[in-house]
Formats: sequence, C-alpha cells, structure tokens
Amino acid sequence: MIIIAEKLNGSIPSCAKAIAARDEAYIKDMAKKQADAGADYIDVHAAVNDGEYEVLKWMIDLVQSVTDCPIAIDSPDVDMILKAMPLCNRPGMFNSVSLEGGKIDVAFPILAKPENKKWAIMVLLNGETTIPKTAGERIVVFDTIMAKAKQYGIDDSRIHIDPLIEMLCTTDDGEGISMVLEVIAHIKKTHPKVHISGAISNISFNLPVRKLVNQAFAALAISAGMTSAVMDPLSHDLRGVIYAAEAMCGLDDFCAEYTSAYREGIFGAKK
Amino acid sequence: MSKIQEIAQVVEGGKVKLIEGLVQEALDAGEDANAILNDGMVAAMGIVGAKFQANEIFVPEMLVAAKTMKKGVEILRPHLAGNSVGKNGKYIIGTVAGDLHDIGKNLVALMIESAGFEILDLGVDVPAEKFVEAIKANPDCKVVGASALLTTTMDSLKNTVKVMIDAGCKSQVKIMVGGAPITQEFADEIGADAYTQDAGSAAVKAVELAQ
Repeated sequence: MIIIAEKLNGSIPSCAKAIAARDEAYIKDMAKKQADAGADYIDVHAAVNDGEYEVLKWMIDLVQSVTDCPIAIDSPDVDMILKAMPLCNRPGMFNSVSLEGGKIDVAFPILAKPENKKWAIMVLLNGETTIPKTAGERIVVFDTIMAKAKQYGIDDSRIHIDPLIEMLCTTDDGEGISMVLEVIAHIKKTHPKVHISGAISNISFNLPVRKLVNQAFAALAISAGMTSAVMDPLSHDLRGVIYAAEAMCGLDDFCAEYTSAYREGIFGAKK
Repeated sequence: MSKIQEIAQVVEGGKVKLIEGLVQEALDAGEDANAILNDGMVAAMGIVGAKFQANEIFVPEMLVAAKTMKKGVEILRPHLAGNSVGKNGKYIIGTVAGDLHDIGKNLVALMIESAGFEILDLGVDVPAEKFVEAIKANPDCKVVGASALLTTTMDSLKNTVKVMIDAGCKSQVKIMVGGAPITQEFADEIGADAYTQDAGSAAVKAVELAQ
C-alpha cells in the first residue's frame, strides 16, 4: 500500500488552527511523525481561500526541514500545484487533477516533460461538469483520462486514480460500495499498472465509530485492487487491517510484511 | 393511537415499507390530507431534525425518515389542495458555479422539503445569474440556499450572494449558505442571512426564515 499521509490538511480543524497561528512546531511534528510511521508521501493541503501559495510554501519548507519523504501537493487548483512544484526538493505527487474544467490538458503536458517524469499524479474521476453517479459513467471518465495520458506520454505507473470514495451513509438503497468496486475492477483489468487510490475515511462520514467503517472498507477495497490510499499512517489498527488484508489477497508471501510491520510496532501491542 | 400519530411514528422511525399502506388507510378512514401531511409527517420530521441536531440520531437515520415521508407524500399528493406540499412556499437551492458537489446539498434539500417546502433544485455548478432568474421567476419563494464544498469555491459563493444582493433579491428572499469550509463568520462577511452547519438545522432555519 502506498500511503499518502493526510494529516497536514487545512480542512482538519486542528491543522487549520496551526496554519492560522503559523505554528511551525505543529507542522514539523506532524510531518515527522507521519514520515516515521512509513508514509510514502506527506500530503500538504492549505485549504485557505486567500494566500494559498504562501501557506503551501510555508508548509512545504517546514516539512522538508524535518524529512526527506516526498510531498503530495494537494489543491483543487491545478495552476497552484504547478506553481508549488518547484518548491519541492524531490519529485512528489501532483494531487490532483480531473477532467473538470479542461484542467487535465493544462497539467498533463507539463507533467509529461522529462524533468517532471518522476512525479506521481492523482487523478479524480470527476466529469467535466458533474460528479458521475454510476460506475458506467465513471468508467467512461477513466477511459478518457487514460486516453489523454497515452496522448501526452504519461506512463500508467505514475497515475493514481481516485474513483471518488463517497460517504456510505447516503448511498442509494442496496448499493453500498458496489459501484466503486465495479470501477476499481475495470481499472485493474484494463490498466493493471495504474494505482487505485482514494481517501479511505471519506467512506465513514456521519457514522458512529468511524474507524471500524474505515477498516472494513480498506479490507474490501484492497481485495478489489486498491494499492494506494490517502489515510492516516498513525492509525495503528487501520495499518494492521491493511497488512492483514494484503496478506489474505496473496500480496505478502509468508506474511513477511505483516510480521515485520508488527515487529516494527506499526500495529499491535505497544512495545 | 390515531392514524396520524401512527404515520408520525412510522416517518420518525424511517419505516419505508409501511408508510404507503398507512397513508392510504388514513385517507380511506377520512382523515384530512393536509392534516396527515402537516400534523403527521412534517411534525415527525421536525422531531427528526431536532434529534439529529442533538446528536441522538445519525445521518442515515435522518435520510431514511425523509425518504419515508417522500413516499407517503406521493400517495397524498392527489388529495392535497392544488397538489401542493409546500405550505412554506418554494425553496431554491443549488451548488455554486465551479463546484460539482451535491451530496450535502441534496441532503439539505431533502430535509427542507420535509419541513414543508417545495424544492426547486438548480443542481451543481450554478451561475449566480441563474439563482437570480429563478428567484425572480418564483415570487412565492422566500428562502434560497447556496452551497460550496471547496475552499476554492468560497469566492464563488461570495460572488453568488453579491450578485443576488445587487439584483435586489433580498427584498424577496432570505439567503442561506452552507458547505464544509463555510463558517458563520464567512456567512456574515459575505452578507448571507443565515449559515447552518447541517441538514437538520438548515430545515429548522428555513422554516424560521419563511415566516
């Protein structure tokens, strides 16, 4: 599982407070903790409606002062991410772009340039003017995105697809997560090198004991083909569920990853 | 227990499968359609909204109650004066330009509908001018709701409210705003009449503003 660590996000109230107060210690501490827990990317999302670049720069500089872990620059504004990329000391993740507003034709040509070839790219399955509601519609969006990736020369292995994980509690009768699983199955079948990602905790909005819902979803999504996730690497139980589910899916020979992660204290009893 | 009390209980408990039969029974027994709607269903949804605000129930429980009411209303509709279910008038709702998110907006629309409004849903990515047109075309609309889910579309919400105010809409409607990044402070700053943080309180506020 490729972990995109989610805690440095201005939509989280405690982080928003730290950003507003320009609390350097909070940002550094959270970056370090997540990197030490095994994050593959540290997501950095300002979530301010004014002065986003300045906040991103401040956060990225602080993260890079404590860890070499690559950064996922997270903004709904494609131009903002492009502007922030040169701030990163090493290639990270472009988070995110979609078909919305034709922005993919701005981002992909730049991301295809030789100097940017090591950047991973998170692509959401938003349509141009709507968030598709059915698996069929999202698959059409996915196919369009992959055609563009091919057109611009972006390798499948750089792409992480967020099939848009939405809250379970408002899904239609009898549907559950079947729609998302259908989309995942299509991606896996047609583009096995593309990473299937998404924000795990979206699934549990507005439900009690969210962590249980997150864990159940992670297991089911891994079984369907999820290989990347926006998540909290400090959540011990979720980490354990992920290692266990991967072993059950035949992705962990002799449970070697599971046992060594336990030994490292990533999950299980505190040593 | 009266049929109307029974209907209220079934709506509150979200018993989707029971509502249609029960409403039909009440009509057959000669109960007044408006009483079934207002004293039974709208009253029950008022309780549901209050319980949600008090953290006693969760979103899916609120959702299924509203869906139950919706099913009951379909049986009732032919018996209502002018087929009207909106004693509080129309409620115009939409997600602002540049924003495609509709799950929260739809939930708010459902709860407001169940509080006795007729919903005019403009959808997502709605230009400010379209809100104004809809308001002017519907003189019986007294409240409008605009939503933004992204920090990047907060400015679009600000603009939407400004365009409505500049077009003189405030002499006709009260403007409600909401969405994940929106706060009371922001709502005040952009000149909205109300901010609510969830669908339950939005319904309560809409009723208050429509009076």
